[in-house]
Amino acid sequence: MISLHGTVEVGSFSREFSIDVGNEIVGMFGANGSGKTSVLRTIAGLCPLGNGELKLGDDLVDAPAKNMFVLPEMRNIGMVFQDHSLFPFMTAVDNAAFPLLMRGVKRTAAVKMAAEMLEQFGVAHVAQHMAPTLSGGQSQRVAIVRALIGSPSAVLLDEPLSAIDEASREGVRNHIREHLVRLGVSAIVVSHDRAELDHLCTRIENYTR
Amino acid sequence: MNSVSSRTPRFVRIGALLGVAFLALPIVGLLKRVAWSTLCRQLTDVATRDAMRISLYASVCATVLALVLGLPLAWCLARMQFSGRRFVRALVLLPMVLPPVVGGVALLGAYGKSNGLLGGLLNSLFGIQLTYSLWGVIIAETFVALPFLVLSLEGGLRSIDVKYEESAAVMGATSFTRFMRVTLPLLKPSLVAGLMLAWARALGEFGATITFAGNIQGRTQTAPLAVYTMLESNPEGAYALSFLLVAISVGLLVGLRDRWIGGSSQ
Repeated sequence: MISLHGTVEVGSFSREFSIDVGNEIVGMFGANGSGKTSVLRTIAGLCPLGNGELKLGDDLVDAPAKNMFVLPEMRNIGMVFQDHSLFPFMTAVDNAAFPLLMRGVKRTAAVKMAAEMLEQFGVAHVAQHMAPTLSGGQSQRVAIVRALIGSPSAVLLDEPLSAIDEASREGVRNHIREHLVRLGVSAIVVSHDRAELDHLCTRIENYTR
Repeated sequence: MNSVSSRTPRFVRIGALLGVAFLALPIVGLLKRVAWSTLCRQLTDVATRDAMRISLYASVCATVLALVLGLPLAWCLARMQFSGRRFVRALVLLPMVLPPVVGGVALLGAYGKSNGLLGGLLNSLFGIQLTYSLWGVIIAETFVALPFLVLSLEGGLRSIDVKYEESAAVMGATSFTRFMRVTLPLLKPSLVAGLMLAWARALGEFGATITFAGNIQGRTQTAPLAVYTMLESNPEGAYALSFLLVAISVGLLVGLRDRWIGGSSQ
């Protein structure tokens, strides 16, 4: 469960949000500048709330009035960043295995799991390639694997299909949904593509200004 | 290629040629004075061997010490907002522009045995004397080398996009893990360049060392000090050792070529 009621503030941007996400896939639709990415960053703990409260599951993780702020590394979130943010000095499979290593999984087991999941998402053939040599679509698939692999308790996807070509979108979308259902977690998908959200999400919130 | 800016006036070319000649001539002169037949014997002479040993040991120690002090300093300068940041930055740069001899005098003021700010205390409490000791050489070299490392690391840290550290944090990496597994690999090129520059500066140190640590053969006499000392008594040895130092410097430039001479990148 994700529950955010308060002011999201990033730089000069500031907007009130009231969002409740159960075990479902909620799409956030809105134009550029409507604060979609800022909401995800706030939930992940990369930007503190201006005021109000943020709960993940039963835990209060951000409440300025109560001096409460849980660090991002303690929130157990899986996130696809808009620009993927893969580590440029690692291979695709090492990038994908990173969240498992952070959760104490042994390296060989982590790499094996990562390789299997890369295969599901159709990028097994570039597993040993360094991140900067991947195409936009390949890099986005690795980023999706990285967001889902560590059994997160909430998943945040920022334009997760923007770089993936039309022909393979449906497959990737189905795999994402499959994993989210298996994990049984709250997920928020941000996009400016309404049709994309219709396909992936169980509910859509409109944040067009 | 026929734009106005790409047509170089003749006087500029002549000036550039003069510049090249000015830089090349001393190296040619040095090489011409080296007695090649006795080079090996000169370089294995006791004084020369002592000087090289002290130089290598002290410069490596100084580089490590500069890293220990410089990395946190560079981090704070690059990533933190604090009052007095400009002051700290100026302080870091000071040894770069200060005459090295003055640096040595200042070090005496701080760590001198009898009347240094800290030196008296160190001596009376622990019996440690930094002046005229190998530690004095290391301290003097660290003092002049530190700015090179801090500048390089600060620039490197500034150019790292925080998004990688952010994504690592979301994936569960604590601040220490982020530093070790994300920041450090991204910082590697600046770190290598900074270490090499700092080491070269430490290896070539003269003024602060002779002022603060003295010129005692076998104890504080580094290679540059030995060259200076031998120039009177044993010029052949001085030229041999100079040649060795030139060779090391050229080796360093080859190591830094991608960054500074623009080998593969251009």
